[in-house]
Formats: sequence, C-alpha cells, structure tokens
Amino acid sequence: MKTIIKKIITFIVTVLLVTLFVFIAFELIPGDAATARLGINATPEALMALREEMGLTRPFFIRYFSWLGSFFFGDMGISYSYGVSVRSMLASKLPITLTLTLISFIMVVAISIPIGVFSSKYEDRPGIKIIDVAGQLTMSVPPFFLGIIVTYVFGMLLHLFVPGGFVSYDVDFGKFLSYLFFPAVAIALPKAAMSTKLLKTSILSERKLDYVRTAFSRGNSTMDVMYKHVLKNAIIPVITFLGMTLADIVAGSLVIEQVFSIPGYGRLLISSIANRDYPVVQAIIAIIAMIVIVINLIVDILYQILDPRMREGR
Amino acid sequence: MLDVNDLHIEIEDSIIPETVVHDFDIIMHPGEIVGIVGESGSGKSMSALAIAGLLSRKDMKKKGRILFEGEELLTASRSRLREIQGDDIGIIFQEPMTSLNPVKKVGWQIEEALRIHRNLSDDELKSAAIAMMKDVEIPDAERLYNYYPHELSGGLRQRVMIAAALICDPKLLIADEPTTALDVTIQAQIIELLKRINHERNTAILFISHDLSVVRSLCSRVLVMNKGRIVESGPVDEVFEHPGEEYTKNLIHAIPKFQKIATAIDNHDSKPILEVKNVSARYKKITGYFQPGKKQRDVVKSASFTMNEGEIVGLVGESGCGKTTLGKTILGMLDDTDGEIVHYSNMPQMIFQDPYGSLNPSKTIGWILEEPLRINGKYTPNERYERAKKMLGLVGLDESYLSRKPKALSGGQRQRVCIALALMLEPRLIIADEPVSALDVTVQEQVINLLIKLNRELGIAILFISHDLKVVYELCSRIIVMKDGRIVEQGTDDEIYNDPKDPYTKQLLSSAGYAK
Repeated sequence: MKTIIKKIITFIVTVLLVTLFVFIAFELIPGDAATARLGINATPEALMALREEMGLTRPFFIRYFSWLGSFFFGDMGISYSYGVSVRSMLASKLPITLTLTLISFIMVVAISIPIGVFSSKYEDRPGIKIIDVAGQLTMSVPPFFLGIIVTYVFGMLLHLFVPGGFVSYDVDFGKFLSYLFFPAVAIALPKAAMSTKLLKTSILSERKLDYVRTAFSRGNSTMDVMYKHVLKNAIIPVITFLGMTLADIVAGSLVIEQVFSIPGYGRLLISSIANRDYPVVQAIIAIIAMIVIVINLIVDILYQILDPRMREGR
Repeated sequence: MLDVNDLHIEIEDSIIPETVVHDFDIIMHPGEIVGIVGESGSGKSMSALAIAGLLSRKDMKKKGRILFEGEELLTASRSRLREIQGDDIGIIFQEPMTSLNPVKKVGWQIEEALRIHRNLSDDELKSAAIAMMKDVEIPDAERLYNYYPHELSGGLRQRVMIAAALICDPKLLIADEPTTALDVTIQAQIIELLKRINHERNTAILFISHDLSVVRSLCSRVLVMNKGRIVESGPVDEVFEHPGEEYTKNLIHAIPKFQKIATAIDNHDSKPILEVKNVSARYKKITGYFQPGKKQRDVVKSASFTMNEGEIVGLVGESGCGKTTLGKTILGMLDDTDGEIVHYSNMPQMIFQDPYGSLNPSKTIGWILEEPLRINGKYTPNERYERAKKMLGLVGLDESYLSRKPKALSGGQRQRVCIALALMLEPRLIIADEPVSALDVTVQEQVINLLIKLNRELGIAILFISHDLKVVYELCSRIIVMKDGRIVEQGTDDEIYNDPKDPYTKQLLSSAGYAK
C-alpha cells in the first residue's frame, strides 16, 4: 500500500515537472503563437491584440497552472493553428501511435525471447555466431535509417506495401495494421537485437549457478531446467530492459512516423512545434510522459511478481 | 549397492589435458555412511558429482566403471540417468542459499523430484512435501511451504535441501560439504539429522567434507583424497588413530583441536592499545526519495572492551551476531555509530575472510601492496618498493611475487599477501576477520602460525574474529563472546573455556565438542 502511494506521488511530480519544462522551453525560444499565426509582417498592434485574446500576456505561472488545471479535467484547450479542440485532434491520432508502439513492442518480445533462448542453448555451435553478428549489425543501425532501408527493400523492390501510403484504422483495420507492420519492423529490430543479447548473456550466467546443478540432480531434463528454473531467473534483468525499451519505442515511433508518413503523434508534434502551437505540444508531451511513467509502474509491479526477493517482508 | 572402479576424470583443456581424478574406487553397502575427506582441489567433489551423473560437461572425459545397484551409470543414457537422479540418488550441496532456486517456493522445490518421478496429484504432492518437511524438523511446515529460500535461515535452507533430496526416498544420499557454510550449533543439528535419517530410512550416505572432525563423528568408513587420488581408506577410527600415509598424518595433525599453539607475548603491565566504550552500530537503509534513512535495528549493542599492546583477543560468535560489524566500527568504516573508540596507536588495519575476493584481480601484488603508501603520498617509489618487499618477506613470500597477479597465487599465498598489505602502514593492531575460514586446514595452520609469529616478533596486537572456537583457542589469550549484537561474556581463555558463565557460551562450546 505504502509503495503504491509513493508511486502515485512520483507519477504526479513527474508529470508536473515535464510539463513545466515544456512551458519554460517555449518561453525561451524566440517567437510565440501570435507571430506564428499572423506571420512576420503583422503590425505590433495586431500582435498585441491577438496575444491579449489568446491570454499570452498573463504571467507565466498563471498560464501554466490554468493549463494544468484544465488538463486534469480533460480540457486540453484549442489548437492555435487549427482552431479545433486539442482533445479531438489527439483522440483520433492516439490509436495510431499506440498501435504502432504496441506492434513494435510485441515484435521485440516475440523475436528476442525465442532467439535469446535458442542462441544460449546452442551457444557452442559454430553456426550460432551468425545470430550474434546479425544482432550486432542490427543494433548499430539507427531506426530512421533502418526505416529507409525497409521502405526501399519491402516497398520499392518487393512491393509489399505502398511507401507513403496509409489507411486509417476506422476505414479498414486490417489494412491499417499492414501499413504499420513495416514501420514497426524498423523500430523493433535494433531493440530486439539488444534484448536478445541481454537475454542470452543472462541465461548463460544463470546456467552456471548452483541451483541449476540442483535442478539436474532431481532428474529434470535440459528443457525443464531451462523453462522451469533458468528462464524465470534470467528474464528478471531483461524485464527492466524491456520496460526502458517500451518507453524508448514511444519516443522512437515519433521519428519513424515521419519517415513512413504515418499521421500519428509524431508528425503532429513536429508541425505543432514549428507553429508554436503550445496546447497541442503540451498535451502530446504530457500524454507521452504519462504513458512512460505508467510503463515504469507496470515494470515495477512485474518485477515484484517475478522476483520474490523484491517483495516486502512478511 | 555402489561399486565404483578405477574412475578417471580428465578435463580436456585446449592446451593440456589434466586428469583431476585418478583410480577412484569405492564400494558402498546399503545403509552405510562413508566419508570422503580432502582439501580443496583434491577431486572429492568431482568424484561425487560423477557418481551422481552430474558431470556432463563436454570437455570432460570419464573412464572406469560406476555400478549402482548392478547398473553401469558411466555409459548410461541421459534419459536413464534422469530416472535415477532424484529418485534413487539424492544429493545435497554446500551452499543451501545458492543451491535453491531463488524465485521458486520451497514447497515447490521439495516436491520437484516427486513430480518428476511419480505420478501424483497436486494435493498428494503437497501433503508428501509437508510430511517430509516435518520429518527433517522444519517448524511450522504448512506455513513455510509457501516461503521463498531467501526468507529462511541458513539452517532451515539446508533442511529444505535435505527434504528435497529425500522426498523420493533414495537409496543413496550424496552430501557434498553440507555443513561447511553453517554455524557450529546448526552444523551439529544437521549432522544429528543425517544420522537419524540414515538410521530410520536406511539411506546410505556418501559424505564429502574437508572437516575431519565432522567426518569422524558421522561416518563408519573414510577415504582420504589428495591431488585426485585416494591416498588412504578404511574404518574411521583406524584411519584417524593410525594413519598410514604422511599426507593423512599431516591432515589430522592440522585439525584444530583445542590445543594451544603458542601463548601470546607477556602483556601483564602493557599499555592499552584500544578502548571500546559503549559502542553501538547500525546500518542505514535507504527507503525512498522523500524519507531520510530509517533508523535500523542496532547490529552492535553497547559493546565495551579494551585491548592491550601485543595481545591476541578472540571475538567469537555465530554469523549475524555483529562481530564483523564491531570490527568495522573500530576501523571507522561505519557512519551511524554511538559510543567512544579510543586508539592509542596509529590506525589498525584489517584482514578479510575471503582472500579470493579481497585482491583486485587486474593488478600486480606489488601495485596492491604499495597502494596504501601511494595514497599516503609521503613515500618515494623506491621506499614503497622496499617496504613492499620487506612485508612480503615477513609473511614468507619472496620478491618475485611483487610482479605476479593474484590469479597466479594459491588461497594461502593470497591470504599472506592480504596480511602483508595490512602490515604496510606498520600498524600496532590488526583486526583479522575470519582470516582462515576460507582456507584448507593445512593452510589454516600455516596462516595461524604466521599471525603468531607477527605477534611475537613485532609485538602486533590482533583482534581475531572467528566463529571457530578451536582456532580461537589455539592463539588467543583473551576471548569475547558475542550474541545478537551484545557481548555476553568476556574473559581469559581459561575462564571462557573451563568456567563459562553464560549459557550461550556453554552451548557454543558443547557444539564445538569442547571437553575440559
């Protein structure tokens, strides 16, 4: 119970700090929403009038806290650039970014756990080196570049998808998923390679421990020793990594959305920053921060489930 | 029942193949307890693991014959071996904490062999496990069934290991150093338990230990191993009373057995070197970002004692009693302490238990020895080198060791280096924290003799922290007994050993087998 309260406090403090930083950042960069809307040739009087109208002349902290107050009640304000409610803008794009993140994450897990187990099992076979080399190679390629390669190979050469095309989820969900598949590959591969390597190393070091010998001494098969004993121990450090990876994927998907022209949060965020569209930027960053913190929370809980040594004493 | 003939085990290293076990023979009958003794690296554990079919490393070659119940195990298939493992042959290991899976409940682990070898329902498994737990005297078995290994004490963990090994009622129990990691009082209980199991279930026990006195109290026959060979075997009493081989004689001679090796230098009217007044100490536990470190339970509770110049004082107690913490407190290594510590000389130095972990593996011995002088800053490189050479000489190692790395040294040599390191700043007091408990008996004896020599020749006072009352008896003139953070009794060796006042001291002495 005490730990849960602590986590909630951490959660609130983090969201406060992150949004405050974004506010300060916008204070510091030159130009504001009024100039962005009226252009550089606008008269000072027109600018002042618009600033007055948009509430930009109020003191910094007043603006921040009034934004914060309405945010927590679900009111994210009106987009300066489009004049529509931020909430409705984000609501239509949230499923796209979330789905992309989720597909990528599932790929990371689905690739790394079997390959990690496999490559640790046949660690001394010469052929297994190929997995290591392939992993090393994938790890060293930045996702956006991998995105370009994936577009070229699967889109331009193999015609498995139309580069630059996109079908929204409310039109055809199947097609929507198929268009997200390749961007997800670009996000997932480097992470999967890292996670594979981590799992392999973790399994190899666990296998040297005494309890593995005990497990064999009771007549377990090699398979049972791996799945009933080693894996649950070896997965513990990997869980921490996967948690960080998931948070990283949320951020990484913003870049990949740009490469593949997917109309998710990433593209919206970039155009909104260019337009000084505070309400949109604030809302996106606050939501991403919240997602990341929730992921960390889930990882902490998972950790306690997997490792009894982390639980509070009885 | 078990007939091992001419067993050879060879490790096929890429450079030179090394035979670790030669001509190993053993015959065991049902219900018999046979001991294998030997120092580390003698091949005793290897042989036992081979019998249990647990040496499956690809780089190991095994030759010979292992007949168990008339069946050849050495050439048996993996699947046949698996049928025997856990069912007909059970095994328990030295370190019950690391030998149990940390993320599985103890009940699950006790049942495991039964789950593999018998076809039982979950309820039957559970009731069998609980009955077994009760049989090995685990209190409150129903509740502890759902506990994890880290929630149990060392003694209980070893009982869990024993329960898990016995659950299928094996004909042979292999016990590989099962009491080495445990406190004396717990050791004695586990030995009693093994005796009772052997008696009640007629389980044959192959008992591997470096501790000759334990082997003597438990086994009917004994094999002595050295460098991969059996050097002597026979009924225990015969081997212990009339050892035929030189090696066995040395081994028996080296057993600490409540005999004074030497008395410390005379210190009747010498000056005090250390005064500890009402010292309490605790560790801080960091609980969260917003709370300061919570006040922890005191690990040392108002301890008071004094030490004189040139005195060897023993600080004894079981693991967790606070003796190491008290040592660290004297050295000022803890932040959260009360009371007063007065040093009448320069700062004391410490020697630690594990010479394998205490030396930086990537540095040379010379570099390690010179480090305190380098930090001090007042010494020229030549002075540092000369001092390191001199101190190595004092501990019986020559100059050539200065350029070697710890990896190239044996355990005993490493502990000598640790002692030389403690001497580098020329302290008048050394705190030795279990300096011999990680070492083999013959090496133990050498290190004890070295400490006595340093005390006699240089007049260095030693606070000797140990759990082993026999070793303490060998060299200490005064003894302090600790329990649960408190000093329960202190006095001269004669007072403590021959006229103990505190019931805990009496219990310790009887567990250690001391008779006036």
